[in-house]
Amino acid sequence: MLFALIKKELLALIRDVHGLAALFLLPTVFIIIMSLALKDVYSPPVKSLPYAVENRDNGKLAVTLVEEWEKRHGKPQKYSADGKPPDNWKAAVQSGKLSYALVIEKDFSNVIVDEKLADGIRVRLITDPGLDGSAFAANKAELVMIASEMRAQALLAMSRTQLAQQSQMIQQAQQARRQPAVQPSQPPSPKASDVPVTVTAQALVDSERLAAGSRPTAVQQNVPAWLVFGMFFVVASLSNLFIQERQCGALARLASLGVPIHVMIWSKAIPYLWINGLQAALMLAVGVWMMPLLGGDALSLQGINWGALALVLLGVSMAAISMALALASLVRTSAQAATIGPVVNILMAALGGVMVPKFVMPDFMQKISEFSPMNWGLEGMLDVLLRGSDMAGVVQPVSRLMGFAALMVVATAILFRRRVN
Amino acid sequence: MLAIENLAFCYPQTEKPALSGVSLEAARGQVLGLLGPNGAGKTTIISHLSGALQVQQGSISIDGLPLAEVRRKTPTRIAVAPQEYAFYPMLTVSENLECFASAGGLGGARKQQRIKECLAFAQLERFAATRGERLSGGLKRRLNLAIALLPEPELILLDEPTVGVDPQSRAFLLEAVKTLANNGAAVIYTSHYMEEIEAIADRVVIIDDGKVLCDGTLAELLGGGETQVRMAVDGVDETRLRALLEGFGKVDSLKAEWRVSLVQDKTASALLAAVEAAGGEIRYAEFGRNNLEHLFMALTLRSLRD
Repeated sequence: MLFALIKKELLALIRDVHGLAALFLLPTVFIIIMSLALKDVYSPPVKSLPYAVENRDNGKLAVTLVEEWEKRHGKPQKYSADGKPPDNWKAAVQSGKLSYALVIEKDFSNVIVDEKLADGIRVRLITDPGLDGSAFAANKAELVMIASEMRAQALLAMSRTQLAQQSQMIQQAQQARRQPAVQPSQPPSPKASDVPVTVTAQALVDSERLAAGSRPTAVQQNVPAWLVFGMFFVVASLSNLFIQERQCGALARLASLGVPIHVMIWSKAIPYLWINGLQAALMLAVGVWMMPLLGGDALSLQGINWGALALVLLGVSMAAISMALALASLVRTSAQAATIGPVVNILMAALGGVMVPKFVMPDFMQKISEFSPMNWGLEGMLDVLLRGSDMAGVVQPVSRLMGFAALMVVATAILFRRRVN
Repeated sequence: MLAIENLAFCYPQTEKPALSGVSLEAARGQVLGLLGPNGAGKTTIISHLSGALQVQQGSISIDGLPLAEVRRKTPTRIAVAPQEYAFYPMLTVSENLECFASAGGLGGARKQQRIKECLAFAQLERFAATRGERLSGGLKRRLNLAIALLPEPELILLDEPTVGVDPQSRAFLLEAVKTLANNGAAVIYTSHYMEEIEAIADRVVIIDDGKVLCDGTLAELLGGGETQVRMAVDGVDETRLRALLEGFGKVDSLKAEWRVSLVQDKTASALLAAVEAAGGEIRYAEFGRNNLEHLFMALTLRSLRD
């Protein structure tokens, strides 16, 4: 019975050309267009990114650096309730809550004013792989610039002090010999002028962008985003057929033949699980093989945890299908389904970071974004594709997606029964 | 086979009951014609039998067992061919039959056999590979019927199965329905076409306003063959005319129309001659056996329902 109803659902879907186009063509086109469009051009929103600072030096110049960074980027986030910094900044940043962490190592204040500029990294910039490449580069350049400016000012101040001291010494010597003042024929500070001094602090700054063996690109960002969006688009075709069979009485006929409600629901869910699987395979293939042919960057799947990817995709698929079933059971007409389904999808995509990256949004919008199932799916995909998460690492987004799916299934069962009758 | 007793039902958030005290029976081998104007309660009765509505008051039984129990244990004993084309337009005729046969619990060789038999019964073999949406109105009706017959139901509910079909398809469908009853099924047939009911129904139930107005065989309902005269007369006052007509039989009047059911020894020609002799000017006159439409209109009155 279930197999026959699944076959019916698949046949109906295969013969719905527009529905197929919406499911497969739309997200593919989005991936291609957005990846190419964002390949080189991007205005990094570096001023509003959530970040944390750990000052291990606490010298005067280290405090100045932190103050200067705060002036430009706002107040940093607290690391924890007790104020204790995490043992591992990489793990903290990879969790996705921070865009980057700024760690100022001990002795920074001394090293930065040392003319010889001792070897060794004194400032670390640890960045989330989900952050756009341009934003990462801008932050790094700004940090080097601030540190270099501080070093230049400090060296200049030292040089002035030395000059003043030498000048004073010469005057004192002349006065002592009661000789008229002579113009020094040599520069007063052979030490300052003869020895070349490195002004830039670039050597002190280390910047690292975490990733699972691959560098984030526009493709790496857009494939998961539009794949999640496309998977949620099953609502259109699923609700369309559901309303059609409800209106023509086929659903009532199935019920009168004794087909249980749960079989009717499963017969709709299972084909769309396959469809979502196909969508995922197609979108990933477009990213890996098609984008380079079109002149874009290739999606890299090297080193990712395939189990984690499958788990996230299953979570997204279940959330998408259950929401589609609930919406299809809720609406009364095809016109309502054709309007409400896409509107809900687009709103969730806009809020969830698919259309506009979450880190671009202001704080309150980022908080709202966390209520969008598409955001849970997208974060899960980014965890796997960019942050190198394993199955344990995607438990949180997958749990949210599964919980959402469970709620939607309960709503579907209640609404479905009412609609069938 | 089917017995409905004192069935009453009220839809949520409505004060007027859709059914009140409806009782009727359908027997194997017979066609029960269920007649009623729009909103009379026919669909509510069918919805009860198809399992879409639960009994609120009264009882429905199949061979002495409560309907709910029969539906739970053997839902395919009762089949409904709704007024809508209740199949998948994007699937072919045979795909539709396959889908609903499996939904009805048929499998293997038995399923294939029933699909073949139902295709043959509805004469749809030539259209087996045609999609439902590309069938003509008559073919769609035949597919609707074929799907209903797949699980070999004992009670078949046909809700206006000939709406929108050509005369040839209608004749075919009526013949098919009669065949089903002759093969032993109990058939409940609703229609607004009185001549169809007269052609195939063994018993007729007329309902209106949620109540049964009459229930019996056609012969019982149509007055056992007595002649009725219907006419409109000017020039004679109402009291005098009624007195005159009552000498010929039972008299009813509806607005300007007089109806006289002639007693055994009176004739229509004598009645008309007597009216003219009394100075009456006959505007029109009809006479003959009563028919179902007259009975239906007389019972349900002529006011529009929608």
